[in-house]
Amino acid sequence: MKLPAIRHVRGFDVARPLSIGAMLGIMLPLVLLPLLSIFIFGTSKGLGVFWSSLVAPEAVFALKLSIVTSFWATAFNVLFGLFAAYVLSRYDFWGRNAVIVTISLPTAIPTAVAGFSLLLLWGKYGMIGRYFSEDQQIMFTPFAIILANIFVTFPLAFGVIKPVFDTMSRSLEEASATIGATRWQTFWHVTLPSLRGAIVSGALLTFARAVGEFGSTILVSGNLAGRTQTAPFISLRNSTKAKSKRQMRSPSCWLCSHS
Amino acid sequence: MIAKMKLASDSGQLDVSWAPDREKSSGVAASVRGISKRFKKAKVLEDVSFDVAEGESLVLLGASGSGKTTILRIIAGLEQPDSGYVILHGKDVTDLPARERGVGVIFQSYALFPRMTVEKNIGYGLKIRHRPRKERRETVDRLIELVQLEKHRKKYPWQLSGGQQQRVAIARTLAYKPQVLLFDEPFGALDAQTRVHLRREIRALLRQVRVPSVFITHDQEEALELGDRIAVLNDGHLEQIGTPDEVYNHPETEFVATFLGAANLLLGVATQGTVEIGTAKLPAEKETRRFREGQSVKLVFRPEDVCISKDANLPEGCRRLTNGVIQEVDFVGAYQRLTVRLDLTHRQQPEDEAPLYQVTINTPERMTGVPIMVTRPKPEANALRYKTGDRVAIGLTSFSVLPNYTLVKNR
Repeated sequence: MKLPAIRHVRGFDVARPLSIGAMLGIMLPLVLLPLLSIFIFGTSKGLGVFWSSLVAPEAVFALKLSIVTSFWATAFNVLFGLFAAYVLSRYDFWGRNAVIVTISLPTAIPTAVAGFSLLLLWGKYGMIGRYFSEDQQIMFTPFAIILANIFVTFPLAFGVIKPVFDTMSRSLEEASATIGATRWQTFWHVTLPSLRGAIVSGALLTFARAVGEFGSTILVSGNLAGRTQTAPFISLRNSTKAKSKRQMRSPSCWLCSHS
Repeated sequence: MIAKMKLASDSGQLDVSWAPDREKSSGVAASVRGISKRFKKAKVLEDVSFDVAEGESLVLLGASGSGKTTILRIIAGLEQPDSGYVILHGKDVTDLPARERGVGVIFQSYALFPRMTVEKNIGYGLKIRHRPRKERRETVDRLIELVQLEKHRKKYPWQLSGGQQQRVAIARTLAYKPQVLLFDEPFGALDAQTRVHLRREIRALLRQVRVPSVFITHDQEEALELGDRIAVLNDGHLEQIGTPDEVYNHPETEFVATFLGAANLLLGVATQGTVEIGTAKLPAEKETRRFREGQSVKLVFRPEDVCISKDANLPEGCRRLTNGVIQEVDFVGAYQRLTVRLDLTHRQQPEDEAPLYQVTINTPERMTGVPIMVTRPKPEANALRYKTGDRVAIGLTSFSVLPNYTLVKNR
């Protein structure tokens, strides 16, 4: 038996509303409702309460710290990501593929494990950290947070930039060279402008991920309120101690809305 | 050289301001000496040498994989030869990086910088040379006028057609007065009509700017039209280099004869000032002089160089080969194409015998004889019609006799 075609019923494309509807229907419980619930919960006692908890000194400090550490992690990731992508797509060397796989590995590791590995390396009794004196220790300082952020988010920046390098036509760079440009001029005038989109999206991804980073940060930051406590921990502490639910709401709302 | 002289005599009324400032030099703009190159195990180029004269355009013609692109990249400095030299205006540049050679490369993909407008693309060469802003602007203005893109100067490459992009690419290289222009399959990405149009334009443009140029193509028509001289490459070595007339009408190797236009090929023996093919004897005093008696040769001739006639009276300047039978008549647009089977097994006609008496080939039962391709221009085809089965006398107006080395190593 021949089934009637469901596309184009009297000139109306049924597939279009059906597919859009299906997509939104699936997204709703998975993505949209969880996001919405935070906002509803956060503002349930009125916007005034919401605002006051947002500007509480601890929350402000945590947000600031999150933003600053994420900023530096992003800056590093973009610069080094560019460099690494350039090297890995322009030069062939023994073990190149191994390096590429290794760079992406942290995405597969639970972030808490990633943080732990940093502790093992840089911690007071870690492989490198043990050679540092007491006041040089970097664990449980903002630097540790930046390190953890870099470790966890680097594959994101690299993963966005590298494919663009790979697909970029070599003849552009060759043309620039024959015209008389040095490598640096070629990179600056020709290669970099073509990467603009990738750099922006790589930076946004990194930053968004770094601001919300939890698992690795909890291990290396020490979570010292007012010193190394980042925004996600305000939410966590407040919700686990359950002293005042409202305290956790604002930062999480903020975190959601910014990303 | 001929073309060079022609250009020089033309230059009186032409704007030559884009020619490099070294007209007084020896006359050789670029020179490739004994270039060899291997990629891993594969031999790509083997001892290739040629010169490009000042103002000349040389076409490197060859099939894909013949190594023509590699030569171009070696001249540009994008690839290093294993041995040999590249000399530009008397200076050995073999060890110089691409950016210090001052050559202009027009890539097949044009390789325009996507984030720069037309004028910025053209001005790029001067910008990185830190030329004063005024000079840059004047040069860009003049070049944009030269390539007729005044309306498009603020556009980005993706807003232009293929032909326009290519003109931008040429202007971009002319801006810094390149020593030589290198065109890598410049028309490969264009449709047939634009291709012909653009190739005339570029030819005219090159006449005007008089920058020596090297083209790469696999299209023989393109080669014949663009080149003052053509270098035919086969499998990494140079088969022949000469004017279009030389390579087309006097091919030195079988490859050149068959790659450039269609050619018929018959195997024979050089004897007593003739080429003997089976029982047919073609008088060729001059052509066989360089062969020893009884040496195995190849007779190569083009379809349009065959004359046929229903009686024994072949036109003036046509040397009698043998008789044959028309096997097929096709009309292919501008000309008529015949397939003719040559009788090479029967004895040659004595002078007094009726000319077509002995032809016995191509009966319905037996199809013997050697097929060749013959083309005739339309007026001639209309004036005198042939049909399948007609017996004809066959002569050649022009042909080449080449040594027949059956083994490549005897070359």
